[in-house]
Parts: sequence; C-alpha cells; structure tokens
Amino acid sequence: MTALSRHAGALVLFGAAAVVPLVVRDAFFLDSLVLILLWGALSAAWNLAGGYAGQVSIGHASFFGIGAYAGAIMVTRFHQGPWLGMLLGVAISIVAGLVLGFLSNRLKGPYFALSTIALSQVLLIAVSRWRGFTAGGEGIPVPFRPGFATLGLGHVAWVYLALAVAILYYGAEMYLERSRIGYQLAGVREDEDAAEAIGIATRKLKVIAITVSAALTSVCGTLWAQYIGFVDPAYVFSVDLSVRFALNSIIGGLGTALGPYLGSILITLLETYLRATFSGLKTGFTGLYLVIYGAALILVVRWVREGLTGIAARLRVRMAGGARGARAHA
Amino acid sequence: MLTLESVSKRFGGLTAVRAVSLEVREHDLVGIIGPNGAGKTTLFNVISGYFRPEEGRVVFAGRDVTGWAPHDVCRLGLTRTFQIVKPFGNLSVIDNVMIGSLTRVTSVRTARADAERVVETCGLAPYASARAKALPIALRKRLEVARALATRPRLLLLDEVMAGLNPTELGGLVDLIRRLHAEGLTLIVIEHIMAAMMRLAQRIVVLHHGEKIAEGAPAQIVGDRRVVDAYLGEEFVLAQA
Repeated sequence: MTALSRHAGALVLFGAAAVVPLVVRDAFFLDSLVLILLWGALSAAWNLAGGYAGQVSIGHASFFGIGAYAGAIMVTRFHQGPWLGMLLGVAISIVAGLVLGFLSNRLKGPYFALSTIALSQVLLIAVSRWRGFTAGGEGIPVPFRPGFATLGLGHVAWVYLALAVAILYYGAEMYLERSRIGYQLAGVREDEDAAEAIGIATRKLKVIAITVSAALTSVCGTLWAQYIGFVDPAYVFSVDLSVRFALNSIIGGLGTALGPYLGSILITLLETYLRATFSGLKTGFTGLYLVIYGAALILVVRWVREGLTGIAARLRVRMAGGARGARAHA
Repeated sequence: MLTLESVSKRFGGLTAVRAVSLEVREHDLVGIIGPNGAGKTTLFNVISGYFRPEEGRVVFAGRDVTGWAPHDVCRLGLTRTFQIVKPFGNLSVIDNVMIGSLTRVTSVRTARADAERVVETCGLAPYASARAKALPIALRKRLEVARALATRPRLLLLDEVMAGLNPTELGGLVDLIRRLHAEGLTLIVIEHIMAAMMRLAQRIVVLHHGEKIAEGAPAQIVGDRRVVDAYLGEEFVLAQA
C-alpha cells in the first residue's frame, strides 16, 4: 500500500475540515465541526490505551475532567493563561494515569474497566465536595478573553486549532502502528502471556500506553473547557463521557488511527440530528432521540464488530481478491 | 547451561513439582515425559518465570533467574512455547514472528527480514500473510515455534508442540526440531508421543506426581520398571519387544 492510499481517508476527512470554514460561516455548523474534531481527538487519545494496548477504560472522563478543571481553575483562581493550566492538567493526569496503569497490572478485562469507572467517580465526588477550591457542583464559568494566549477564539480559529490537534493525534498513531513499540503493543493486546514469553515487558508497556493516553485526553479536556466556557463535575467526570470516548473508537474501528474520527462523525451527527428532530416541546416525545440513538448503537456493535475502518478494509480485500480472481481465470 | 536445584512448586496443599533437580548442558536435547498432571508444564512455568518456586533455584547462563519476570528470562536467551498455543490471532503470521524478532533488534525493517528467514525455516512461508487465527492447528503449532525462534534463544522449551498432529505433520515437526538442534540450539521438549520422543531426545526425564522418578537415555527409560508402572504400561513394553 502506498503512503497516499494509507492516508487517503485522513486526507479527505481533514482536508474537508480545513476547507469548510473558508466556505461556511454558519455558527451552528462550525460548532458541530469543532466538536466532531475534539471528540475525535479525545477518542483517539482513548484509543491508545483501549484500542492499541487493549486496556479498555470506561473512566477516561477522569483525565478529561482533570484537564478541564486545571484550565478553568488556573484562569479564574490564579489569573494565569489556560495553556499553563493545560500543562498542569497534563502533569496531574500523568500521575493519575500511572495509578490506572498500576491497576491494569492487577486487574484484567471487566475488573479493570470497573476500576477505571471508580477512579472517575472518586474524582467526581472529590471535586463536587471541595467547594472552597473547585466551586463544587455549581461548576465554574470560564471567562472569554479574546486572544490566542487566553484561548478566546472565534469559531473559525477553533476549527483550525481542533483540526491541528486531531491531525497531530492521528499522525502519532499512524507512526505508532509501524513502530517497534506499536507492534509490541499489538502483541500485548492479543495475548499478554505470549507477549511476555517472547521478551516484551508487558506491564511497563501497558503503563506507558495508559499514561500517554491520559495526558493526551487531558490536553483536549482543557481545550474543551475553554471552548465551551463552563465546567461542572457532573458532566466532565461522567460515565456518559467515558463511554462516548470508547464508543467512537469501537464504532469507528478499535486500534486504528482513523477509526475514532469516523466514529466521532457518525455519533456526533447522529446525536445532533436525533436531538434536533425528536426532542423539544413540539414533538411530545422528549427523550425519544435517546432510544433511537441507543438502538442504532446496538445495531452497529452487533453487526459491524470491526467498526467502520473494518468495513473499508474488507471491501478493499474483496475488490483486490476479485481482481486477482479475474486474472487467474484469464 | 540450565541448572535446577531441588525446585518445588506448591498450589495450596498440592505439590505440583517436588524437589526436582536437573542439569541441561549446551547442545543437549532433553525430553520430559510423564502422565497428565505430573507437573511437566508447571516445571516449564517455573523455569521460564511464570511461577516462582517455593523452594530451590533456577540458574540459567550462569545467572540465578529464580523469580525473574518471563520477559527478562527470554532476553537472557531462554524462550518457551505454550502447550495451548497462544498466537496473536488477529495479526498475520509474519507480524507474529516479527514481534519476536523485535526483542533482539530495534529496527522494524531488520526485524521483518529476520522474521522472513525464520518463517521460511519453519515452513510457514506460504502462509506468511495469513491471519494467525485462520491457520489449522498444525500450522499454529509451527507458528508458536517460529515466534519463539525469532527471539534467538540459546535454550528453547517446547511444550507439546506435536500433540494433535497427524503422522505427516508430526514427521515435519520432528525434522524441524532435529535441524534446529543440529544448528546448535539447546532444547527441552515436553511430549506425550513416545515414538517421536524416542527418535528425538538424547536424554529423557520422567516426572510422576511432581517428582523426577527417572532420567537417562531413551533405551534405558523404556526398560525402567518404575517408568513402565507409572506411565508407559506393560503394553508399551510388549510392543517394543
């Protein structure tokens, strides 16, 4: 496969995202685009641990929340720029990631997943109760101060910032896939005992994957808080959010660089469309959108196990196989 | 090269391996036989670092490796395979083997070239790009050996790589093991198939209820009263006669 065809999907996707703000000025549309890219990048960060290393976490909201709060508190309480908050968030997330990495060496599969939920719940309770510092359950409004240093940006600038992060994460995972550590991670994901037997330091590798994943998630958490302009513990540490990170990757294609972004497009659009169509006072079916959303997810998970990138790969193989077959018959 | 000094491994009240001592020298080909539950695989797990023995020492290449992590034991030059094969199912055969090579080399390109040679040696070249989980059992057993070989071991532990194979497949694998041995590899082989073991091993160790009850040349072993009683049975002796 040539380099071009390897990146074809990404070129189309990120290329389109880069062109859209030049043409479209609709705030709602641009807002959706920023969110698709941010959710995609967050899911790509999750994918590093959940997809590549096979350590499925349902507690990544922990790192998202740490990043979001680090930025918000740095700005409102210490009157510093959000970038410094991002750095602090990354530092704290690395520590929390190490804790989770340690847990991954003690607990397997569902037990590990449960322990990750526990981590996010502990943070949720801690931040909700520590009113004096975090403003508790009411949350913190993040003031809008125009400028890049304060991340007070317009919609178009946000699209490009989110796009830069998305491309960076995508590129990092694309590189990882073909690297030594990437192959070793694949071994860990497929069978830990076998990986250990052929000389891979499986425990160390898992801790590294989870910790880097935590740091990348935290970065996006800070960005999200500055973009939305408000953080509250019930949302940023919620299980819903953790599930969203996982779902985007699972639906898009676990352990693939492009998968999380494809998943993010599908889920974010589906959610936005269903919410707009089936909720509100007019329809009289408030909440129906959630039912349809849930049913759609079940269908995908049931029948498209390998995700969207899996379908693409299968089609490609079938086409190549067809061509070979034709040649054999000729 | 490998020395076990009175190694014991217990699970609760059950002693799976009891005070087993063993000396394996450079270029040996040692067979381990014994009935199911005799402690053969447990012994492998102790040697390769998966279990820490309650008593005794494991010395490999002049180092006391008792309690080492398996990946460190492997890096020192001792690699084992699993009785219940553990391929990286969703990866191709070549990628499986290449991950083994990456333990010795850092460059992916070099590792791939290495892996291609190993795949060729093990007769897996026609299946190099097949997904590991799509292979039939005989080839998955070969893959298990290939992946271990890619780590360039000095001592290779094979845990029942011949079980469940038909006579043709069996012959192929026996030839492969002999070839590896001829090229200078030291091996310890667990096997139930006596015919293959008689052809392969220079020395056979018999385990029974976790204890070593006999050790010697194959011809010596089949004549050993205790081995016949514990494992081979009278019919085997009659058939040999």
